Amino acid sequence: MRKLFFILAFLLSVSGGVNSQVINKVPLSPRITGYTIDAKLDPATKCVTGKMEAFWVNQTTETVPDIQLHLYMNAFRSNKSTFYKEFGGSPGKDSAAIGWVEIKSFTGKNGIDLLPYMKFIHPDDKNLSDSTVVKVTLPVAAKPGDTVTVKINFVTKLPSQIRRNGYRDDFFFVAQWFPKFGVYEPAGMRQRNIGGWNCHQFHAHSEFYADHSVYDVKITVPKEYVIGTGGMLLNESDADGKTKVQTWRAEDIVDFAWTAWPGYAVFTDQWKQVKITLLIPKTRLEQVERQFTAVKNALEYLDKNVGPYPWPHLTFVDPPAFASGAGGMEYTTLFTSESFYKVPGTIHLPEMVTVHEFGHAYFMGILASNEFEEPWMDEGINSFWEERIMDHYWGENSGMIDLPFLKVSDKSLSRLTYARSGSRQVITNNEYSWNYPHNTYDMMSYEKTATWLYTMMGIIGEDATNEVFREYYKRWAFKHPSGKDFVNVVNDVVKRIYGDKFGPDMNWFFDQTLYGTGVCDYKVESFRSSLQGSKIKNDSTVKSLMVTDSSKMAIVRLDRLGDIMLPVDVLVHFKDGEEIHESWDGKSRFKDYTYYGEKQIQWVKIDPDYKIRMDVDFINNSLTIDPDRVPLRRFSDKLISFMQFLTSIVTL
Amino acid sequence: MKIFKALGSGCHRSLKVWKGILIFWFISLSLVSLVAFPMKGIMKTGFGQSAITGKLLNGIDVEVLSDLGAVYKSLTHSFSAGLLLLLLLWLLINAFLTGGLFNSLKSNDEKFSAGEFFRASARYFLPFMVITLIISAILILLALILIVIPMGGVASPDNPNESVPWLILIISVSLYILISQVFVLVADYARAWQVKNEKPACFRALGFGFSRSFRRFLSSFPMMLIIWLVQTMFVLLVLKVIGNWKPASGFGVFGLFLLSQVLLYIRFLLKAWRYGSVTSLKELNDPLPSSEATVNI
Ligand SMILES: [Zn+2]
Repeated sequence: MRKLFFILAFLLSVSGGVNSQVINKVPLSPRITGYTIDAKLDPATKCVTGKMEAFWVNQTTETVPDIQLHLYMNAFRSNKSTFYKEFGGSPGKDSAAIGWVEIKSFTGKNGIDLLPYMKFIHPDDKNLSDSTVVKVTLPVAAKPGDTVTVKINFVTKLPSQIRRNGYRDDFFFVAQWFPKFGVYEPAGMRQRNIGGWNCHQFHAHSEFYADHSVYDVKITVPKEYVIGTGGMLLNESDADGKTKVQTWRAEDIVDFAWTAWPGYAVFTDQWKQVKITLLIPKTRLEQVERQFTAVKNALEYLDKNVGPYPWPHLTFVDPPAFASGAGGMEYTTLFTSESFYKVPGTIHLPEMVTVHEFGHAYFMGILASNEFEEPWMDEGINSFWEERIMDHYWGENSGMIDLPFLKVSDKSLSRLTYARSGSRQVITNNEYSWNYPHNTYDMMSYEKTATWLYTMMGIIGEDATNEVFREYYKRWAFKHPSGKDFVNVVNDVVKRIYGDKFGPDMNWFFDQTLYGTGVCDYKVESFRSSLQGSKIKNDSTVKSLMVTDSSKMAIVRLDRLGDIMLPVDVLVHFKDGEEIHESWDGKSRFKDYTYYGEKQIQWVKIDPDYKIRMDVDFINNSLTIDPDRVPLRRFSDKLISFMQFLTSIVTL
Repeated sequence: MKIFKALGSGCHRSLKVWKGILIFWFISLSLVSLVAFPMKGIMKTGFGQSAITGKLLNGIDVEVLSDLGAVYKSLTHSFSAGLLLLLLLWLLINAFLTGGLFNSLKSNDEKFSAGEFFRASARYFLPFMVITLIISAILILLALILIVIPMGGVASPDNPNESVPWLILIISVSLYILISQVFVLVADYARAWQVKNEKPACFRALGFGFSRSFRRFLSSFPMMLIIWLVQTMFVLLVLKVIGNWKPASGFGVFGLFLLSQVLLYIRFLLKAWRYGSVTSLKELNDPLPSSEATVNI
């Protein structure tokens, strides 16, 4: 291993740093930004002192007069920051608890001091007390092709753990810690009319947006600390007997975070070309195998159905319980999971977190959507894939919980969270992340999106859905797709596979699900058989069969109760075993089917395979003359014996 | 050897009062049905004539249950309220019926008589209720001291050693099981004494329970542990059988009902075995001239 590090370090030194390739032969992304950082962690003061040299290349055809950078850590400076105003509460007055980043010096080309040109801006909310975005007017505007190089000396004070960031005792998770370029979006990119910087403040509900970059990061920590980063370790040296210096290299990732804690045990595994490293508390080794299985399953599934995982390395961290606040976050080639000591194998929570956070390597890492503005594109799409992976590998009905008496699939949790939310209609799925009212950010970004993506898959099929994502990857990997770009991919792929079967495009689907607030609810209102003329009504208060007129025809009556109109299958089953399959475009408020002759209907089902998962009530999707009461009787019998045993056990 | 003698006698005595246990079982089933049947009704109403119940054949489906919406909420409310009511009622009824049962379990040559069973139940209800309340309160306090407080102390996520809370939990629960058996023994001795001394005197009974438990600790306590182990293994077996069996036909469900009720009857029998064994051990250790002590063992 050491030899390899030496070779890599040598290659790096002779080939000129950030502009050359070390990990992948060919750059995966355009070299727009790059960072070389020398960082030193002082565990006593909880500060990281950094010397950074960074560049931004104007690859647009526009002349850009300024640069904008995020100073995310200032969100934790005081209760006046936009983060705290939205989040509520306060970091308190304790200087040990707050977080901040301070720029000590800021120079540009030829050593010109840029500090006088620097000012805090507040593009989102005009909150003058927020200092999470800084704008530097360039002494000379950057013309197309120009490279803006800056040198910044900074000190980052880590907060007491908040938002997966900061420290707990001797545990450190160092994220959003250095001054970081926003994304310059030229006119036309992500449907922008006028070019400009996309550099949002740090909000309570928001994540991040950045260009794919190269990182050369030197980290100095006390010797006993174990470090994990999203890069590849190139070199390690002993600084002064007490500290060590590690040199890390990362390419084509949108963020560079790292962790340091003396309590980590390090494990490695291999999946194809990918070397996987797991950092886990030394006291929780029983979870190691589960974690590797989960991440390898996710790699296999996404590699097969979306596109290749293009890095030869991947590191993930299972933080200790006392610092579990760091769990469940993604930095592309580094992510954090969350398991617990002795968490039973029947509860797939650690696997779910691992699969989810790894999935962000694709949905955000490779397909670098704007998490501030279109959170459904990372959290929602990624939740959809997480649920598919969990239910594929851990059981279609037991992806989440696999107990003998209770099995829960992962996908069912997102549907029921969305379907039972009282606020499911207050806002569309297409909002900036901090604009979601009534605590709907999670439900909308994660659960509603996953539910309508499942619905889309129900309509166009699994193969076509995978093809959509393969095409999305092909077109948009290492770029910044917008929601509209995703919709365009769906339209193109569906057209290619199905022609006009679903209309000229799929916009009708997205207008209702992504851009609309309606709900979907189809109902079998009633049906009537011929001859005996028995009519059965889907109304639980009417239990007996109502006898009406008899004629030689059977009628099925369907209702659309919700605003959303989706094509649905209808299956009519007759007593003689005959089945008739109907396809209803689902547009009208009601639909009647009439069958002539001596027809005895046994049951009618709308969407018999439960493909339209947006339907908020599956119970009224079917109607039968002889409902199966066995499960209910079984349930009540078990309930009776459970209560009998319980009362007998707890009394003397 | 006394232990095995007492266990054998307890077994014999409990089988002899099988009719009394039948009364226990019947009242338990009737009472629980009072709570469970309305829930079944709510579910039936919620699902109406829907064909979705077929989706529940493989077991509970959270998605289908959540689609019950408001009905699901009233289901969970009636479950929690019903269970609480049931526990309180069973506390009373159990205190009542154990009077009759302990009375039938003491050594005598008479055949089981339902009349005498209920008369004794009524006679000893008050002292048995007091004994139940005091010992239950002690057991709750014990759980608080042995499990809740230590766990609250170490279960903090700030504890860097993640295995410690587990270790403490295992030790706490084990200790609780061991010590709680002492108090169960006290309650059983007290009740066995009470039915022997016909005048209601719950505090004297408890005094006897404590003194006999500690004076005859070496024979009584291991016996309680043996009984606890058998009962626990039985409950685990029931959980396994009832929990995993998912009959899909009406006939199968009826079979499940029958089996679960037979198992419940055995559960009551095992409890009576404990009462009978403690009663027998008490009689074995009672100072001699009490000539009846040797009868029936
Ligand atoms: Zn996520």
